[in-house]
Amino acid sequence: MNAPAAVSGTPSVRVVRKHHLIVRVSHWLNVPILFGLIGSGISIYWASPVYQHKPDPTTGNFDFVADIGIWVCGHVPGLKGYANPPDWLYNHFSLGPGMLAPALRLHFLFAYLFIINGAVYVMGLLIGGGWRAVLPRRSDLVGAFRMFRYYCILPFAKLARREWRPPVFGTLYNPLQRAAYFSIPVAGLLSAATGWAIHKPMQLHWLAVIFGGYNSARVIHFWLLWVYLSFILPHVILVLADGWDTLRSMIVGWSTKVGPARQGRQ
Amino acid sequence: MSTDGKPDPSRAKAELKRFFSERPLPVVEMNPRNLRNWTRRDFLLLGVGAAAALTAGAILLPKETLRRVGLQRNVDSPRGEWLLNSALRFDDEVATALYSENRLVPTYTKSQITPLKNNYNGATPDPGYISGWKLALDGLDSGLRMSFDTRTLMTRFALHDQITRFVCIEGWSSIAWWSGLKFADLLDAFPPKPQAKWARVESSVNLDAGGNSDPYYVAIDLATARHPQTLLATHYNGQPLTVDHGAPLRLLAPVKLGLKNVKAITSITYSAETPRDYWAERGYSLYNGI
Repeated sequence: MNAPAAVSGTPSVRVVRKHHLIVRVSHWLNVPILFGLIGSGISIYWASPVYQHKPDPTTGNFDFVADIGIWVCGHVPGLKGYANPPDWLYNHFSLGPGMLAPALRLHFLFAYLFIINGAVYVMGLLIGGGWRAVLPRRSDLVGAFRMFRYYCILPFAKLARREWRPPVFGTLYNPLQRAAYFSIPVAGLLSAATGWAIHKPMQLHWLAVIFGGYNSARVIHFWLLWVYLSFILPHVILVLADGWDTLRSMIVGWSTKVGPARQGRQ
Repeated sequence: MSTDGKPDPSRAKAELKRFFSERPLPVVEMNPRNLRNWTRRDFLLLGVGAAAALTAGAILLPKETLRRVGLQRNVDSPRGEWLLNSALRFDDEVATALYSENRLVPTYTKSQITPLKNNYNGATPDPGYISGWKLALDGLDSGLRMSFDTRTLMTRFALHDQITRFVCIEGWSSIAWWSGLKFADLLDAFPPKPQAKWARVESSVNLDAGGNSDPYYVAIDLATARHPQTLLATHYNGQPLTVDHGAPLRLLAPVKLGLKNVKAITSITYSAETPRDYWAERGYSLYNGI
């Protein structure tokens, strides 16, 4: 396998098949689907915020999320004259305030798509064999800590122009990546389950009970949003930092990082 | 399996470990031209997908939302509406399939009761209507149009107590103690015409935010009306209903979202065709089963 490929004189390149077609398609479909779910979800949150405080005597506002908008409009230059500060966050990160009916319709459409797409993604991992690479191992706790330390020190090492090499694990993904890539499908499953629990709290009452009842299922459903956001941001940054080959491999499926050479570069 | 036919535990363990362990990625050797074609195809597919996603966004997002991000869509998008309505109808079908007439909703104890706010969408009506209040019943098998006052209803039918969760489409919920007659008992005493599948439950005293008359009407499927926990409630927290909670008679269907639980009911009309529904006409689901 390691012999040069020029057998018959035709030029040849060697690449590895990294991501199955099904995995790539469902991976990218998650982008618009999560966009739709988060945008409509925040609009649904507006109708009855999970986190409320006593109404403010001057503004009458009782919603902590609206407070964020008020804070932003009070501190960001250029937003000082914003017409309705409590609406600022809802205007910029959701369908908008007072949009419950369209938000629910969008949320249901995208929720069904998300469930189907999630099942397809897991199927792609199983068919393509990719599931083995994302499965957490017993040694991952220590490995994840080493990787975390590497990322923490990396910016300072760069500033000091000191060489700072990542720990080598000899696997396709490092332990932190495995933890992240494994927990996102789990979060998807929990989002779907808590979603059904609050969508049908009577017919699927047992499901709400699993999550501690209707109210706590709502809270968990809301917090899963933060799980996605805290995954997506570092995910995008690290893919861009890792380079073109990594980003391209999720589009085309192949990678030029062939053989043992790849391991140090993950 | 070892050679003598007996299972070898260490071997089985190794097999299992091998099954779960990561495999090296398959290496393919190919003509650079084919690789370029493959790559071009997949990038084109991604581009087509991205364009489709943007188009879907422009079609599916409400006009107000697009305006907020500086985009303009002056026309309604029938295709987007069709898709969103289809999703809503599909979700209603799922809810109808999930519903069981025999499945009771959880009940609670008095210590678990939580406050329930008056969530009238418009102004709360003036209590003046209560003294002359009558419930009109139409679409009956007898062909008669019946009319009841509160006393007749409460003496003729047994009152039942129940403490159930009341869930609003906005997301909040409340555990509340209700008493009233069973809708099923009314259906048994005055059966609807045999082909009837729906009840139109209406409050003609409902007001809009400006205090003007704005009759409130919902479509309730008869399967829900017959549910043993669907009440025509007369009492809240052991006291006769106040105007805030729909005096003198309100629908209390715990298997439906709060918006179906009509306050101050003035008429119930049975029909074979789906009746009009106040919130379905405003973009919400028709079924609203939970």
